Amino acid sequence: MKTPFIIDPKLYEMSLDLLNDLHFIESKGKLVDFSFFNDDKWLSETAVIENLAKVAGQWDIELLFAMHNNPLKFIKRFIVSYSCPRKATLIASIMRRQAAKDQRGTLVVDFEGIQISEN
Amino acid sequence: MYSTKNKILNASIKLFNEYGVASVRLQQIADEIGISVGNLAYHFKTKDFIVSSVYEKLFDDFNLILGNYLLSPSLEDFDKQISSYFDFFDKYHFYFSDLFSNEHQIPKIKEEWNSLINKMDLQIKKRLEFYAKSGFFKEINRNNLQTVTDNVLLTLIFWIPQQKMQSKIVSLFRYKNAIWCLILPYISNEGFPELQKVLNDNNLL
Repeated sequence: MKTPFIIDPKLYEMSLDLLNDLHFIESKGKLVDFSFFNDDKWLSETAVIENLAKVAGQWDIELLFAMHNNPLKFIKRFIVSYSCPRKATLIASIMRRQAAKDQRGTLVVDFEGIQISEN
Repeated sequence: MYSTKNKILNASIKLFNEYGVASVRLQQIADEIGISVGNLAYHFKTKDFIVSSVYEKLFDDFNLILGNYLLSPSLEDFDKQISSYFDFFDKYHFYFSDLFSNEHQIPKIKEEWNSLINKMDLQIKKRLEFYAKSGFFKEINRNNLQTVTDNVLLTLIFWIPQQKMQSKIVSLFRYKNAIWCLILPYISNEGFPELQKVLNDNNLL
């Protein structure tokens, strides 16, 4: 027979008190708390472009997330830096493929979408 | 899978309930499921091994009920736990002789029973305290709370054997009724609609 697990009654009482308190402390989340989801939803529809920049002797990998139907809506994020350019190029392409929704790269940014006013 | 081991354990529980743990022989268990004593001995060397395994199963079931403490803040949660206690105490009636024996053939079993009953007592007390704090209960002083706890515990554990002793019908409906009747006088106006919902769901009172 298994050795019974014995918990000190005072400790057990305290843990029950904490369980009771959970129902008073915890409250339901508000819809506003979930707004980050809607705010960042556009990121799932972006084309990802990798960018290498030489900064202070290191090759910085930056990823640019651009919305494919509105290229003016984009963000650029620094990911990591490498001292070897070949390694940085390889890692950058891997990172782009991981980050992109469309891994084969058929989703491209439509430059025609940029309607620059000539006025 | 419904293995021979499980069949042996279920038959043992049935026979323990009917004749008591001490009176059941291996031959009876083997006859109950239609196997030979030799086959039985292959799975469990002695009766002590069967008794240990039955108690292991029993304590696992009890721990499962204790693990479902206050999953939601409603009175319905307590109602669900009452149903689980009924199933448990009805399935293992032989527990009754254990609770009154001073010594058990396996001392660990007595120790485990004590620990579990103490946990159950604490859980009921803390649950009632929680309901008082959430406004479901009227203002209740410590002494009264302890008395209600003791009464609920007594009813949960001893209601089934007491009814059987008087040859009355043992049903979940009557069991729940007995417990909610103890709690009813302490329910506040705020808690009454909640209780009404639980009672209506079960067609009680």
